Amino acid sequence: MKLNTIGLLFGIGFGGVLASFDLHEYDTIHAMLRLDEFRVYFFMASAIAVSAPLLWWLEVRKTNTPFGGQLRLSQSKPQRHHVQGGALFGVGWAIAGTCPAPALVMVSSGAWLGLVAMAGIFLGLQLREMQQATPDHVGDGEHREINLEVKA
Amino acid sequence: MVDVFSGDLAWYFAGPALGLLIVGLFALVNQPLGASGAYVQTASMAKRRSGVVTWRVWYFIGIFVGGSLVTGVLGSTAEFRPGYNALTDVFPLPVVVLMVFAGATLLGYGAAVAGGCTSGHGMCGTAQRSPASVTVTATFMATAIATTFVLRLLTGGEL
Repeated sequence: MKLNTIGLLFGIGFGGVLASFDLHEYDTIHAMLRLDEFRVYFFMASAIAVSAPLLWWLEVRKTNTPFGGQLRLSQSKPQRHHVQGGALFGVGWAIAGTCPAPALVMVSSGAWLGLVAMAGIFLGLQLREMQQATPDHVGDGEHREINLEVKA
Repeated sequence: MVDVFSGDLAWYFAGPALGLLIVGLFALVNQPLGASGAYVQTASMAKRRSGVVTWRVWYFIGIFVGGSLVTGVLGSTAEFRPGYNALTDVFPLPVVVLMVFAGATLLGYGAAVAGGCTSGHGMCGTAQRSPASVTVTATFMATAIATTFVLRLLTGGEL
């Protein structure tokens, strides 16, 4: 199976799960952050409870992944930019009531304000990029895409 | 009968399903199931930059396709509408547009500074036991709940 197909399939799975749980709806995120409902917290906690031990097990076994070499988990130390970025992200998340993947699902469900959210997210990422000579912090938790494309 | 496609899937199905997706992507590609990186790669492709991580763009497209499948094809919740029900109940539409755009710009910028978003740090990073990701997640949960509380006060409890 090609890497692009894997990307597409995992995207479909991820988008499908978010939609099945109504995470693309502002009302879901808003009720969660108002502490009116706790189902999203249970959802996040159970996802971590399932994935953390399995990832640990794969790491201990020194699993070789077909596309990315030996499995290597990121465990970087917290730095100032983590707190600063996290703080800004939280404020924006509460106001916009969505985050990057749910915004995309919001648009796919026909809610056109999702396009406004996506435009804002693209702009925010772009603003940060323009601030830096070498954009080093942009990634998915950790910036680690570079080696992969060579192998693919 | 489990109602899978109406948006009411129980957390004890949806959460573990997401957990398995996270593990699956790590097991195959050694990469986190994050979303903000996919935005960055998609923007880079639109700008015709070199060195675009193509599979992240397919992944970006996949999230859209997965959402359409569940809301529009398998389920029937998809319809053309503004969205943001609770927010449009309180504010007129132009104000909502401004709020959504400003909030989204802030969260996009914050995700870039932090190096990830709810999926990259919040889910995948904590699942990797990354102290940096735990720090980011604790910080954004705290500021998001605090901001929601402030918005609630400012609107006299309406929002």
